[in-house]
Amino acid sequence: MRHLSARIVSPCLLLLLQMSALTAAEPSYEKDVRPILKAHCFHCHGEAGEKEGGLDLRLRRLLVAGGDSGPAVVPSNTDESLLLERVISGDMPPGEDKRLSPEDVDVLTRWIAAGAPTLEPEPEDVGEGPIFTREERNYWAFQPVQRPDVPHVSDARRARTAIDAFLLAKSAEHPGFAPEADRAMLLRRASFDLTGLPPTPDELATILSDTSDEWWELAIDRLLSSPHYGERWGRHWLDVAGYADSEGYTDEDRVRPHAWRYRDYVIRAFNNDKPFDQFIQEQLAGDEMVPPPSPNLTEEQIEKLTATGFLRMAPDGTASGGINQTEARNQVVADTLQIVGTSLLGLTVNCAQCHDHRYDPIPQSDYFRLRAIFEPAFDWKKWKTPPQRQLSLYTDADRKVARELEQQAVEVEKQRLAKVEEYITRTLEEELELVPEELRESLRTAYRTAAKERTEQQQALLKEYPSVASISPGSLYLYDRRRVERAGKLDAERKKKEVRFVDETRQAALAQVPDDLRSEVEQSLKIAAEKRSPEQQELLKQFPAVLVTLANLKEFNAEAAEELSRDRELANELRASQSAPDLKKFVDEAAAIRARKPEEGFLRAIHEVPGTIPTTQVFYRGDPEQPREEVLPGELTILANRPEIPANDESLPTSGRRLAFAKALTNGTHPLLARVLVNRFWMLHFGKGLVNSPGDFGVLGERPTHPQLLDWLASEFVDSGWSLKALHRQIMTSAAYRQSSVTTEDVRRVDPDNQLYSRFPLQRLESEVLRDAMLVVTGKFNPKPFGPPIPVMEDSVGQIVLGKENLDGERKPVDKVDLGGEEFRRSVYIQERRTRIYSMFETFDAPTVSPNCERRETSTVAPQSLFFMNSDLVLEFAMHFADRLQAEAPGSLESQIRLAWQLAYGDSPGEDEVQQARSLIEREQTLIHEHDSKLNETEVTRSALSVFCQALLSSNRFLYVE
Amino acid sequence: MWNNDLPMKTHFNLTDRRQFLQTGAFGLGPLALALLMRQDGLLAAPIKPELLQPSDLKHRPPHNPPTAKAMISLFMQGGPSQIDMFDPKPALNKLDGEKFPGTIKYDNAAQASSRVLGCPWKFAAHGECGTEVSELLPHTARVVDDICVIRSMHTGVNNHGQSIHALNSGRTQRGRPALGSWLTYGLGSESENLPAFVAMTDPGGIPVEGVLNWSNGWLPSLFQGTVIRPQEPRILNLEPPASRRGPVQQEYLRYLQTLNEQHRADYPENSELAARIANYELAARMQTAATEAMDISQETAATQALYGIDKKETEEYGKRCLIARRLIERGVRFVQVYTRNQFWDHHGSIRTALPAACLKTDQPAAALVTDLKQRGLLDSTVVHWGGEMGRLPVIQNDAGPAKVGRDHNTYGFTMWLAGGGFRRGGTYGATDEFGHHAIEDVVNHFDYHATLLHAFGLDPEQLVFHRNGRQETLLDGQPGKVVSGLLQS
Repeated sequence: MRHLSARIVSPCLLLLLQMSALTAAEPSYEKDVRPILKAHCFHCHGEAGEKEGGLDLRLRRLLVAGGDSGPAVVPSNTDESLLLERVISGDMPPGEDKRLSPEDVDVLTRWIAAGAPTLEPEPEDVGEGPIFTREERNYWAFQPVQRPDVPHVSDARRARTAIDAFLLAKSAEHPGFAPEADRAMLLRRASFDLTGLPPTPDELATILSDTSDEWWELAIDRLLSSPHYGERWGRHWLDVAGYADSEGYTDEDRVRPHAWRYRDYVIRAFNNDKPFDQFIQEQLAGDEMVPPPSPNLTEEQIEKLTATGFLRMAPDGTASGGINQTEARNQVVADTLQIVGTSLLGLTVNCAQCHDHRYDPIPQSDYFRLRAIFEPAFDWKKWKTPPQRQLSLYTDADRKVARELEQQAVEVEKQRLAKVEEYITRTLEEELELVPEELRESLRTAYRTAAKERTEQQQALLKEYPSVASISPGSLYLYDRRRVERAGKLDAERKKKEVRFVDETRQAALAQVPDDLRSEVEQSLKIAAEKRSPEQQELLKQFPAVLVTLANLKEFNAEAAEELSRDRELANELRASQSAPDLKKFVDEAAAIRARKPEEGFLRAIHEVPGTIPTTQVFYRGDPEQPREEVLPGELTILANRPEIPANDESLPTSGRRLAFAKALTNGTHPLLARVLVNRFWMLHFGKGLVNSPGDFGVLGERPTHPQLLDWLASEFVDSGWSLKALHRQIMTSAAYRQSSVTTEDVRRVDPDNQLYSRFPLQRLESEVLRDAMLVVTGKFNPKPFGPPIPVMEDSVGQIVLGKENLDGERKPVDKVDLGGEEFRRSVYIQERRTRIYSMFETFDAPTVSPNCERRETSTVAPQSLFFMNSDLVLEFAMHFADRLQAEAPGSLESQIRLAWQLAYGDSPGEDEVQQARSLIEREQTLIHEHDSKLNETEVTRSALSVFCQALLSSNRFLYVE
Repeated sequence: MWNNDLPMKTHFNLTDRRQFLQTGAFGLGPLALALLMRQDGLLAAPIKPELLQPSDLKHRPPHNPPTAKAMISLFMQGGPSQIDMFDPKPALNKLDGEKFPGTIKYDNAAQASSRVLGCPWKFAAHGECGTEVSELLPHTARVVDDICVIRSMHTGVNNHGQSIHALNSGRTQRGRPALGSWLTYGLGSESENLPAFVAMTDPGGIPVEGVLNWSNGWLPSLFQGTVIRPQEPRILNLEPPASRRGPVQQEYLRYLQTLNEQHRADYPENSELAARIANYELAARMQTAATEAMDISQETAATQALYGIDKKETEEYGKRCLIARRLIERGVRFVQVYTRNQFWDHHGSIRTALPAACLKTDQPAAALVTDLKQRGLLDSTVVHWGGEMGRLPVIQNDAGPAKVGRDHNTYGFTMWLAGGGFRRGGTYGATDEFGHHAIEDVVNHFDYHATLLHAFGLDPEQLVFHRNGRQETLLDGQPGKVVSGLLQS
């Protein structure tokens, strides 16, 4: 074995050794070797007391000391170093997918060959806990933000602001910024950027005619004060927070009916430029900033509690059936921590849930220290499901009104019950009428005896008379039908009786006629009344009873008439006194009373229950079934000089952990928060971050391209009182922002990927912005803000469209529900159901929020083209657009084209462009007429214009912001 | 000297030694090669970017003569139980219900049991090659002479997402391009009218990891998979409304192109704008081509019956397999046909759920092989059947015979390959006597991908994408070997 492996390994080592002579400075344990071992080996050899085979790899001297099999490393002797042999053979780390890369093996080899050096003396005493190296402590993202001086750049380089100076000073190669974009282009850019909507022709006219020096600053201020600003930037924040209107986790994906209040809170906060430190404090600990929820929430309580919806955005399947509760709860806490980690700390702390972070200095115990901050509010042992934990917005006054109305409704329901009993008795008696008389009494008793107490005889008897046995409140309506049938029968029998009774009465009267006159009388009766002779009439007058008819039966046979009348009344009665409609009146009345109650809103919020602080334990390998040592709340250990998080703040009813954390996070000294925030804001303006991994500032993330600028922005942001609007102004007044997106071949050669910001990057509209832009351009936009989301549903072909689901019993869609203009509201108000993403958004890369979205991606696929070419949605929008052009610029095709251009592109067309558009429309008129000669001229004109409109909406110039 | 009581996780027994020899020997190859090449300055030599960095779907010749031109991957998401379908283990039935005599690598320890679960189904040898398959797969049994069953698959990461990525995009991490993206990047498209890379999803929902399964990762967006929906309309918005058909639409598209070209003139370096223009052209052609390609009413009743389209259980999956064949026939490079989310993830009730899963897929999968063969397409088309993992030999969810299931096993599982130069008939590799660990001729995802690329005439080391100063490959620098035992000699 030994022999064999040496033979295979040695030539390679030789090669590696030769290599090492060719390559750069010798590696050190701390800088080069430890990151490799930490990523691949510490899990079993060093972390949290794990020392498989007695081997601990956390220090150089421990490697040399080795484990059960002897030294892992023999300095300067690559052949004798078992570590190397094992990693080269692929035995270690175990698992095919876990081999070290050739580069890593090369580093280890060169390090051992160089005598296994360290940069500084190793600590004498290491416990089981994490060891941080100087490299880790000195990692850029953990250093305090130092406000750098603004570099000096020569005037010739057209720096407008400090931002420009930092960007230009980055490289002597910087080719300078592109020329300033023209006003129309800038307005379109800023308008989409700040409000997510295209500029209107009026706004364009204003900016073009503004002769003041501050025209640009004024334009920015106008946009910042638009109510649509909060909808746009709130949406960005909702991505990071993982906003959704459904719970996810299971296929059931239950709807979250009240999440929208948090969405509205966010939009308002952005519109009001709520200082970001306060915004974050409220979201993390709003409930700890106000008195505990009482029956009467104040405005302030409502706002602060709504803010904590941030911590309620993670997928939460705990109200669904068929799941493992422990796993599901644990997942909610883990996802919440992931959202907090990536959004506020810019670190993948979630990677330290099961073991120490492989790359960043985040031991598993730190993960659970962070978890301990949140656990009093997420007590996984005393869990409440989403429906159980919602907070009512009712006030005492509301409750009183509701209670009174409820009492009234209950009263009506009681009346109904009494009525039901009446109907049951009536039905029972009626049914018993049909039963042989001798059985009636015992059947009645059997029916009235409780089911469990019936004797066998009674049961048998009832079985024999199911129509008695089946009488119940729920079956009464069936007896209504029986009564109608019975009435019908009665009528039919009565009709027969009528004939019979008249006949009998006549016969009886005839019998009374003296024998000699009888045949005369009978003769006269056979002749129609108007043809009788006077004699005959006279004769019959003597015996009026023989002329009996149904109408005068009563005069001659009162008894028979009486019976008929009884029958008639009975039939009428059977028809009239139906139980079902009568009982429904009571139901309706109770419902009507309840409908008058004040509408009850609910908050989806955090409210930590005072006085119950659970202990937090590290879960061995992340498994909640294996809790180990207890931990107290705290920030990441690697961050130096952080305020303590008290385990229990005695001055608060709650534990105060989150509030202390939120305050510590926002006290202006946290090395990560402000950097993470300004980086994200920068990314949203420029399409990429200064750190282009906005949710990961750790080792696996990217390094800042402009570290000084990042720090300067972070310190500006804090110094400005955490005002995002001030930051927008800082960024948008820079030459870097104001420059054109078009550049020259020479510049592209120097700065091919625009790393130096030598032009403004072209950016595609996000899915929501694309839809909103179409709404505005086509004139259909409904600016109504806030409130419950516009519902989405599956249409007949399985597309997710806007609409209220209206399905029949077999889940087939029936009548379409009119949304009454809601379908033209902004996209931020569309229901965001995790399993039902609005199809158009899905086509244009809507983010999957699992649990949140750090950065949106864009794709370019043929289905997007098909969407513009063929979808009902675009064709409808194109038609609306055409209608608007005809309405606002009637008569002149040229002015319609110019208006369309302005609306879609925020600019005026050139003469060529007008000409091209005109010839398209004219050709289309001919083609459409040929295609369908039934269309009249108006229809042809409208249709051709709509093709032009469709082309503008489909064009890249519309889809991209320059 | 390392000895047998090593401080390492795996036990160093005879089988591991064999593994060591193989992986050790092959493992060194690329490493040494890379170092040698670097010394010689080969890798540093200037590379013509247009050769290595395609940004269109034009057909490109491979590095070497290929045996395969197209591939259909029937992806059995969730992890089919190899020991109940393809890998008979009599030892299991002997020990049924008894304590497992070795160590199990559990995934979900909470529901784990150490009791052996024997296979409730009978195995028999089939075909001339005598490959054994269980009675759950009567149709596959009939095509065993055309397929090569690999019994020694291994990814070694015990959860769905990572193992899916390993098999679909080369590494266990997210964010990398899918196999279909690499193939279309390397070879372009054979069709001007259809997307080169198609993913066909199941009506029961998209697989674990969702759209990442057909993501282009950091390759240009042109190489992203296009989803064909599981129900009509299979591609949304494929048909223009009556009022827009023919010349009306052509005129619109011509004008749109003028607008887009004028716009693009300012941004010659922007590949996204170019791709978007190209996509309009593709979309226009797709309107007719894709409609035609997906119209299975053009197939004879006999063909439809072959795929089981005449039966309720197989109708849906059969249709998708048949469409996949029609797409390949029309020049689509790579089609992946998915089962629904966790369809094969039989943690419980395996006795009823596994037969149902087999019923849905067995006939259509076998039909695809038969049909391609009789059309002469099997020689150039790889058919892949398999999921991201297999299952453990012991009981999970020990709650009565009806409820028992099996937990994940990525240490040894089965999949099969047919056509495109892969061996006809027979099995390859072996697991231990309980089907837990692959022990003989282990094929991991690197080997699998290296072998696939080889079949397509692509050199795994030469199919490179330059990004951030790195040379990205499907295997990501990991040692993967071309497994000649899987190929026709």
